[in-house]
Amino acid sequence: MIDAVHLLQAATDSLPAYRDFPVIGSRAAVWIAAEIHLMFAAFVLGVPMFAVVAEAIGIFGKDQRYDRLAKEFTRLLLIAYSATAIWGAVLTFLLATLYPKFFAYLTAIFGVSMWIYVSIFFFESFTLYLYYYGWDRWKYGRAKVGHWALGILLNVWGTLVMFIADSWLTYMMTPPRDVTPDTAPGSIKLWHAILNHTWMPINIHRLIGNVVFGGAIVGAYASYRFLASKTDEERAHYDWMGYVGNFIAISALIVLPFAGYWLGREIYQYDQSMGITMMGGFMSWLWVIQAFLIAVLFLTGNYYLWVGMGRIPGAERFRPYTKWLLAVLVLGAIVWGTPHTMIADSRELAAMGGSHHPFLGALGVMSAKNTAVNLMILTTFLSFLLYRRANIRPVVPWARTGTLIQGGMFGVAAAIVLFFGIRGYFVEAIVRIGYSVYQVGAVLACIIFVTVIDVLMARGAQSLGAIQWGKMPPRSQYALFILAVTFTWLMGLMGFARSGIRQHWHVWQVLQDTTKYAATPALGQAAIMISVCVLIFLSLVGFIFWLGGLAEKSTFVAAGKETEHVGH
Amino acid sequence: MWATNLKILGVVLGTLALYTLIANKIPQVQSEVPRALTLGADVTPEQLAQAGEQVFTGIGGCTTCHGLGTRAPNLLTDEKGQGPIGARCGKREPGKDCKAYLHEALTQPGAFVVPGYEPIMPDMTRTLSPQQIWAVIAYLESQGGTITVSASDVPASTTSTTSTTSGGGIAGGSSDPMAIVHAAGCVGCHKIGTEGAAVGPDLTHVGARLAAAGIREAILLPDAKVTKGFEKFAGIMPKTFGDQLSANQLEALVRFLAARK
Repeated sequence: MIDAVHLLQAATDSLPAYRDFPVIGSRAAVWIAAEIHLMFAAFVLGVPMFAVVAEAIGIFGKDQRYDRLAKEFTRLLLIAYSATAIWGAVLTFLLATLYPKFFAYLTAIFGVSMWIYVSIFFFESFTLYLYYYGWDRWKYGRAKVGHWALGILLNVWGTLVMFIADSWLTYMMTPPRDVTPDTAPGSIKLWHAILNHTWMPINIHRLIGNVVFGGAIVGAYASYRFLASKTDEERAHYDWMGYVGNFIAISALIVLPFAGYWLGREIYQYDQSMGITMMGGFMSWLWVIQAFLIAVLFLTGNYYLWVGMGRIPGAERFRPYTKWLLAVLVLGAIVWGTPHTMIADSRELAAMGGSHHPFLGALGVMSAKNTAVNLMILTTFLSFLLYRRANIRPVVPWARTGTLIQGGMFGVAAAIVLFFGIRGYFVEAIVRIGYSVYQVGAVLACIIFVTVIDVLMARGAQSLGAIQWGKMPPRSQYALFILAVTFTWLMGLMGFARSGIRQHWHVWQVLQDTTKYAATPALGQAAIMISVCVLIFLSLVGFIFWLGGLAEKSTFVAAGKETEHVGH
Repeated sequence: MWATNLKILGVVLGTLALYTLIANKIPQVQSEVPRALTLGADVTPEQLAQAGEQVFTGIGGCTTCHGLGTRAPNLLTDEKGQGPIGARCGKREPGKDCKAYLHEALTQPGAFVVPGYEPIMPDMTRTLSPQQIWAVIAYLESQGGTITVSASDVPASTTSTTSTTSGGGIAGGSSDPMAIVHAAGCVGCHKIGTEGAAVGPDLTHVGARLAAAGIREAILLPDAKVTKGFEKFAGIMPKTFGDQLSANQLEALVRFLAARK
């Protein structure tokens, strides 16, 4: 046994620490493989979540359109699944051959979890095959509920797989504090390494992010099929599918920043210098780009809803409000994009008159930014509410009171957001951070209570006419493409932020990167890499969807043929 | 359909190009790997200042608090009309010129704390070599003032990224706990009896809430468990006491603190 250990040790000692990859270098090779694997993984983990929800609506709401929508989602999933596995294998082989010592270090700690990962992946694959190929066989009664349970099981496997993989990357960011460069990796307990500071925040952030991403890609798929449609029925179906995809993406996006705050807070608590590098160090400009992308998402998502109101009878009542909603969104985006704690040299600081701009600096602090983003979320929710209300007239006797209460809730939520935003300027940072919880709480409470009132108020509502699905101008469909590209790019950018704050460390302050690629690139170079990854991913997705179209005809059902669809 | 496909391709490529262009138009900052500092005997003040800038923005971690927010005075910009640090450093403490003041601020930060700020500055001798410290002083002097640091100030030793202390531990190897407490700069952040500041947890009765093992861990691995209410200061306490204290000193200090109930 001891001889075997010595042999293993000798083999490890003779292993080169690094090898290089031709032309693009080892870092770029691993970057591309990891990023594209992650994009496919996000898609195949996000889509089952809302496929299973759509199937449930189909079963319990007795609306076959949702069941067929769920099946179409799953068909996309099936082909994307093998692409995820292929890119995962590419990433593993690149890591093992280009970074052999680092890979050996990780396997010494996480080896057992890697075996479990592979086993669960195996179960997940076969559950997916059963789920898709059993769709028409287990279509009615108890068998259908059993089929739905398979969908739930698929999500359980997917979530477990993601949680395991997250433990590896979060360990690299925030290894337990008692792990030092001298700690033998084999002596680190697996569960101790998994339960690191950022594991659960990343898990939750990714879980929500996958839903956003999956919704956006499904929206882009539907918009492509809409533009390629030859019949009104087909157009109507894909218009509806695009709406559902966009609704899922934007709804989940609204919750995503809260998970992001939690992750950021954990990073600061783990190591202030890491947090400051992320928010106020060399990555500070990244957040300005992020603000721009989020502004594009909010504006495009709202634009799609506003254009969509053109196909809803009765929506013209709300058209005058659009310009005010747009004004709030634009102002919010400007405030959110205002730079504050930027890394600057002494000449730049002197030219600015201090470390912050004398006037704009006041808008760049978190108090102003939190206020802006919360008001943007409220505005987007109001857009959606108007869209929901467009073709109905409530008939319940308390409709007017209900609307007034809803208006009051919006007013109170906005006032709370503004109050804590302004008060944040006059208190210490640690108190100010706590205020974001009150702001978020007010917005979420408003969203929940206003929705409940709206659902109750819509009972038995008078219809002003069914939504004319399919009667959307093509520009609305290009908006869905912009959303999909922006979500994908944003995912690449945030991945760079998360990974880049480790700087020249494979494992933060434990295992140093000593390759010639150890320096963390500037945002410009990172942006080129992200764009390349997005382009490869979208090209492959386009090819996969085209293949899917070849293999099977669309399963659409014409709107209005089953039940008249008044609501959404 | 080809026209539609081309339009979709145009939208995708246009969006990607726009984001890539914006990201390339903003200031480009690359995070470099910290390099070891090599200063020859004929180093010029300008070379010192240049090396000091690298330490200031890199391994020194100075920008964590200085110049980015309100934790510590901004050093590279004007503060209260007194100019950048190079212009105001000679007026901070009576009888101390700029060089002496900055050296004291880096090596004995508790000796003088700028009014309005908390004494959170760590003793930089624990993380920087004497060469690096003098380089930082030269850099700070260059910010609105004249560099007075010369090659003769810089000790003869050449290449180092971190400082080391003598094998006998700090405080000349003394095992007197209070001598260690003072030499290690504990009272810069912790209150012990009537001495010290309130940045870190009060150690006056630390033995009542922590056993000897817990105190030892807190000294050697200060971030392993952060005392409730002090989370915002996590990461400030140096992690180098395991290297600086001799085994005798560490145990003497642990026994001393554990007895304070």
